[in-house]
Amino acid sequence: MRTSKHLYFHLSRRNFIKCAAAGTAIVGAPAILKGLTRKAIAQDENTIRLLITGPTLIPGDWSAFERETGFKMEDTVIKDDPGIFLTEILVNDGGDRFDIIAALTGAEQDLIDGEAIKPIETSAVPNWGGIPESITQMPYLQRDLAPEGGYVWGVPLAMNADSFGYLPEKLNEPRPPEEASWSLVYESEKTLGRSSTGDNYIYLWEALAYLKNTGQLEVGDLLDPSPEEAAATADFLIERKQAGQFRNFWKIFDDQVSDMKNGEVDAIRCWEPAVREANKAGGDWVYANATEFYTKWMHACYIPTQVHDRGNLEQVHTALNWILSGSYAAGITPLRGYVTGRPDLAPQYAEENGMGPEVGVAIDEALAKVKFKFAKEDFWFSAVPSNLQEMQAQMDRVLNA
Amino acid sequence: MAATLTANDDVMRRLLPRLPAGVWSLSGFTVVWFGGIVIPLLAIILVSFFQGRGIRINLDPTFLQYERFFSYGGSDLLARSVRIAATITFIELMIAFPFALWLAKGCKNNMVRLLTFTALTVPFFLSPAARVIVWRSVFGINGVVNQALLATGAVDEPVTWLIFSEFAVHFGFLGAFFPTMVWPIFLSISLIDNDFLEASNDLGANRFRTLVHVIFPLALPGVVAGIVFTFIPMLGDTVVAQHMGGNNVLMLSAQVQSLIGVSNFLVAAALAAVVLGIMLAFQVLLWAALKPVGGLNEVFANLRR
Repeated sequence: MRTSKHLYFHLSRRNFIKCAAAGTAIVGAPAILKGLTRKAIAQDENTIRLLITGPTLIPGDWSAFERETGFKMEDTVIKDDPGIFLTEILVNDGGDRFDIIAALTGAEQDLIDGEAIKPIETSAVPNWGGIPESITQMPYLQRDLAPEGGYVWGVPLAMNADSFGYLPEKLNEPRPPEEASWSLVYESEKTLGRSSTGDNYIYLWEALAYLKNTGQLEVGDLLDPSPEEAAATADFLIERKQAGQFRNFWKIFDDQVSDMKNGEVDAIRCWEPAVREANKAGGDWVYANATEFYTKWMHACYIPTQVHDRGNLEQVHTALNWILSGSYAAGITPLRGYVTGRPDLAPQYAEENGMGPEVGVAIDEALAKVKFKFAKEDFWFSAVPSNLQEMQAQMDRVLNA
Repeated sequence: MAATLTANDDVMRRLLPRLPAGVWSLSGFTVVWFGGIVIPLLAIILVSFFQGRGIRINLDPTFLQYERFFSYGGSDLLARSVRIAATITFIELMIAFPFALWLAKGCKNNMVRLLTFTALTVPFFLSPAARVIVWRSVFGINGVVNQALLATGAVDEPVTWLIFSEFAVHFGFLGAFFPTMVWPIFLSISLIDNDFLEASNDLGANRFRTLVHVIFPLALPGVVAGIVFTFIPMLGDTVVAQHMGGNNVLMLSAQVQSLIGVSNFLVAAALAAVVLGIMLAFQVLLWAALKPVGGLNEVFANLRR
């Protein structure tokens, strides 16, 4: 590309520093400063600094981690918008300040191209070897984290198969394990003016999956929609919006819970923990076993390139091994309903630590989820689809309509 | 110690040209302002004329980002944002002026005045989201207002447009930006000498004539400041439209966030440039509106009287 007549410029703090250095007498100053920064961080080798894009992936607190590894965990939550997250890593050199990056899978190529992460030595992460085949066969591992014949770029943190919440009694709909249709969110007369979905490209993508699965739109590759398919989906959502289908388009987790608690909606595309929160306030919400599809996602952990220079790689490997342990699974699964990379280790851990039968029930449910929900063909969400900007632009068109 | 100070003073005098302190501070401020504000703004405008994807920018000039912005409903977004901001600014002025007049000249009880100041200030101690989000439980389908309407038989079904609508966004802005309109007007009215009001009365002017011909012209600096501090920040507000409008009423700032969220920095830059244009146009309009009363200089000269 650089041979063309165009002049390209990559925005990054590192590039900026390079340019500045070339124009100053003290050419080595920025590198020295950067080295000092890394050294300063490395001085406290017993603290793991985690940058995480999903606050619900934090297992309440890190006391179990700290007790079992002997390290302290400092987490920093950042928005999961790919633009925000990638800017923090690639432009602001997030690897200088964090030992582990946890984010939605799908952004690996950007991180690899930007030399922001390095391959993981799986031999230093013993629990990697026992990841069940049902998980290793998922596209997240085969496509994103551990392509066949290539490096391992990340380890699974947690995953889920998302659908929507609804009020079965009020809508006269069956309860799980019976299935319910996504039409409750998009075009059911029963939920006219009483349904809600999110405000970004992910939720446009889901509407596209709905159109495909109900035969309303011919879709080439649902895993990577084209701009034309995104535009057709936006037309559908605009038509439904103008018909009065949607009460609102939520932005954050709290909006979802608020919509349910305040009785604003009867069906809502939401995260599974939101249903749990709403029911704590006395609601009768259920999380759907969806007829058409699930939005399957995975958060993974990556090791920033800078960790290799800092000398705390061994501690980071230990932390990643804990992420794949029965301890994390026994903590996060009952709390959020999420599945970890090693759900199989949780029952034994729970039993050994006297955690009570509810943990075992939650783990069984999680394993059943992997078996049934993840087995459904559509669809495997990726944080950075090829036409990300066009998809968001189309969703903005929906919001502007 | 004294000798050291004297020596230092000599050095400083030799090194620095003999300019008044005011000029130095003004120059310093100008440099900081230029480096910290003007150059970044110019950079944003410049970037909006390039192509690229994510953090990769191609320096070939183009209007593509502006075309993209307008092709995705940008003109509706601009019209809606300016319409809502202008409407709220006008309503705020209509409410805030008599309120500020009462507070500055009408209220004689210091305790009442103190409580009023507190009531105007306290909201700023809360986060903007917390200030706004409470209205959901008031205006929601099961909120206080709907409960009251249903209980009194005024409606048969809950009113849905009280929240997640343009009405709700207007209402949210009214509360959030009331202090920014009241404070400058209150300050400028407070500075009006009571002798002027008494002289007007002695010369036979009734209260309305005193208001129109004495108080309002002298309060114009506060009115101008109130309009600027209300209208412009409202265009950049990210909270009210989201929480009260439920993304049914998209405004400029939400669009900028959305674009940045998917690394669409160049269209975001184009949008920011358009917003800058709107703000400049607003300033020109304000300047034109004040021309009949002598322009900005004359208006602010009132503060020195």
